[in-house]
Amino acid sequence: MFLLNLSAVEFFALFSAVSGLAVALYLLDRSKKKLKVPTLRFWKHSEKPPVARHRRRIQQPWSLLLQILGMLLLLLAISQLRLGSPDRASRDHVLLLDTSAWMSARAPRGTLMDEAKVLARAYVRALPPSDRVMVVRADELSTPATVFEANRQALDNAIRQSQAGSASLHIEQALNFAVEMQKLHGRRAGEIVYAGAGRIDAGEAPGEAAIPGLRILSVSEVNENVGLRKINMRRSMSDTDLWEIFVSVRNYGKVDRVIPLVLHFGGAPIGSARLAIPGGGEQNHKFEFRTKAAGWMEARLLVKDAIPADDRAVLELPAQKSLQVAVYSDQPEALRPLLSSNPWIQAKYYPTAAYNPDNGSQIVVLDRFKPPAPPKMDSIWIEPPATGSPVRSLKQAANVPLAAWRTDHPLSAGLRTKDLRLESTQVYGASQEFAAVAEVEGGAAIVARSSEPKMAVFGFNPGRSALRYELAAPLLFANIFQWMAPEIFRRAELNGDSAGGVNVTLDPGMDASAVRVLGEGDMVLPFTVQGRSLRFFGGVRGIVRVLAGDKEMVYSLSLPDVAEAKWTAPKGVKRGIPKFSAMEASSRDIWQVLALLGALCLLAEWVIYGRFKLAFAPRIAGFLTRFRRAA
Amino acid sequence: MAEALIDRNFLERLERLTLHWQKSFPGLVGGHNASHFSGGGLEFLDHRHFHHGDDLRAVNWRAYLRLEKLILKLFQIEPRIPVRIMLDCSGSMATGDPPKFEYARRLAAALAYVGLVRLETITIQPFAASLEDAIGCSGGRHRFGPAVDYLLALQTKGKTNFMQVSRQFIANYPQRGLLIIISDFLDDGECEKPLQYLSDFGHDLMLLHLWSEEDRVPPWNGELVLEDAESGANLELTFDEETRLNYTAAFDQYARNVRDIALRKGGRYVGISTKTPVEIAIFGPVMEARATEVR
Repeated sequence: MFLLNLSAVEFFALFSAVSGLAVALYLLDRSKKKLKVPTLRFWKHSEKPPVARHRRRIQQPWSLLLQILGMLLLLLAISQLRLGSPDRASRDHVLLLDTSAWMSARAPRGTLMDEAKVLARAYVRALPPSDRVMVVRADELSTPATVFEANRQALDNAIRQSQAGSASLHIEQALNFAVEMQKLHGRRAGEIVYAGAGRIDAGEAPGEAAIPGLRILSVSEVNENVGLRKINMRRSMSDTDLWEIFVSVRNYGKVDRVIPLVLHFGGAPIGSARLAIPGGGEQNHKFEFRTKAAGWMEARLLVKDAIPADDRAVLELPAQKSLQVAVYSDQPEALRPLLSSNPWIQAKYYPTAAYNPDNGSQIVVLDRFKPPAPPKMDSIWIEPPATGSPVRSLKQAANVPLAAWRTDHPLSAGLRTKDLRLESTQVYGASQEFAAVAEVEGGAAIVARSSEPKMAVFGFNPGRSALRYELAAPLLFANIFQWMAPEIFRRAELNGDSAGGVNVTLDPGMDASAVRVLGEGDMVLPFTVQGRSLRFFGGVRGIVRVLAGDKEMVYSLSLPDVAEAKWTAPKGVKRGIPKFSAMEASSRDIWQVLALLGALCLLAEWVIYGRFKLAFAPRIAGFLTRFRRAA
Repeated sequence: MAEALIDRNFLERLERLTLHWQKSFPGLVGGHNASHFSGGGLEFLDHRHFHHGDDLRAVNWRAYLRLEKLILKLFQIEPRIPVRIMLDCSGSMATGDPPKFEYARRLAAALAYVGLVRLETITIQPFAASLEDAIGCSGGRHRFGPAVDYLLALQTKGKTNFMQVSRQFIANYPQRGLLIIISDFLDDGECEKPLQYLSDFGHDLMLLHLWSEEDRVPPWNGELVLEDAESGANLELTFDEETRLNYTAAFDQYARNVRDIALRKGGRYVGISTKTPVEIAIFGPVMEARATEVR
């Protein structure tokens, strides 16, 4: 026999207070009442000598006893007195069902996940009916599938619907989560049951501290597996058409193996290798593949092992884009070297007479002529005539030194010149619309407009002036083209990785505020940056893009995060399905009976000693009198 | 001000009633009630010389034109049957919930209004140990306001002494008439004999006996210390079911005695619990006892 809602101390404290109050009220109620009456004439007819000589004396002990007994019974009912041993009271268990990537491994009967589900259901069936269970799906994050639930059908459904995911198991976090749930939401802590293979990442092993009430439901032991760990693809720095592909393969087993690895692009094989990997080892291999086209690249291990999901990875290669530039010039030879030096630019040259304001190119270069209609796309104006210039010329200057490059403007980034003199140049004034890029005495020789369509205006011809001998000339044009069409020059890097936490190393000097991480459908994902290390979490399979300056890193999180280590449970941990059936189903609840008895006691007291008697006794007496007369 | 005691709807209903008495009083008529004896009406009595302060309306202008002297006409005033309402203002009337005195005031106001509407001459006479200052009102319903003000100003105090009161009443009011006594009739002495005297003197007696529920069936139990509201005397006793039955029986016996005195000489008796609303009491038990009737 035990109390469920209150401890014994709490109960007795409460009972003492209540019974003390009852006695005080009793004495107060039974004390002499002082009344003012219109006359004493009739009272003298019914006078009885006062019984109580002392107001603090209990005159109706049975009345008080009934009241206290009634309150005792009601208090016991509120405290939920139960018959049986406290061990048999209902408890709240947390069932941690491992849904990590390793659980998709093939087992003698189905997969490890299937085995874990069978064990979990068997455990739930073995529990006493009043016990409540919370099902938690444990992988990288611990996600409760149910609240503390006594409904076996709901628990069974939650277990059946659990599937192996892509992330690895974070066992310490899952155990802490279970303990917290029992503290916060549980009534009486029961067991924390882990059902799974116990495969964790190296270094993720929990501390030695014992978890109270931990039970392990072990599945079959599966060790032999080989899988792709990571794929990295990027264009060669020297040859933009060449893809460099790095593939990392790991042997999770203990036996040395030779693994055939093949690469396909658009269904056609583009490379293969045989990798000899020792047990527990990892090996990288580099492939090169030349293409400008877009398509699917597939890496596949030709092996049959426990986890098929990590034997194949597919990445989408983007097409190599180029920038279409139309040059309207009657003397294009001076500009050809500047434009042909950049492999991402495809320039077409037209005479000025063939000017078309909407010719389908992305950028137009206007060399020393006034177009009849302004271009609709971004444009570079070289030495425009004063009458047709988009920006007003202040003066014509001759043999002036180029005073400075405005390094705060993106077009001047990284440009240096020394003692550069311009034989002849238009001098422009900077305005809100046009910002100075290169300054000479009295104004700017190059100005640029940031609003759409973007515009750069040269007061001199860079292909004919002394600038053509400077390294700054091709860099200036590269800056202009990158400023006008940044998406063309963005360097792409493709990674095949596993779902879960991903670490990215940023380029030196990268501004963290300019970094964006976009998930499926360009949904912004949260991330953290510490130094040059960026970290984000992709919980599900999909594509995540990291945009950092002119670099775009695409992460195809399609590989499962297969853990390489095995968790060793602390000693003394209970294992297997418990035999709850040997015990009685549960303790018996008797609060209903107690509440009924308490109410009966109070009712009896009211009928025998209380207001009921006062209110109905005359009527009953009158009825009896009439009955006697009639008889 | 009248609304403080009786609301307008109740007043409108009261206008249909008239006070009723059973005795015949020689030489008297009252209000709209026909006397059993013949008597003079408003008839000319005599002439006399006009004096300063006399009512000019009574001047005989024909005589003035003929004699050039102001001659006043005198009329014989017909006596009316006086209606007197004796209201108990003793300390015992302040007990009960609501206090009996509140109820008695409303009852007195209602009966006074009925009388005024029928042009009766009403006297409200409060009493406790002796008679107190009375108010007389007559001449119609517009005189009801002062009567209500007077009733509202009354306070309960002192002991009841029916013997003293009856003596004073017979001495002060020799003219017989309808006498309505509103009281709880709780006197330390006896009240049967004084009531008998009043009845024997020739008054048409109508006793309105008020009690509160706790006066008849005290709701308390256990050890009680009782204090007499009038005398301040104390009594300690144990009160239980048995004693409660004895108490109620004694009270009922006393009420029967009071009723018998009223009925013995052709009077009327109405016992009213303060739980009964005044309106229901007037149109119920009071009317059933023929204290009032519908005209």
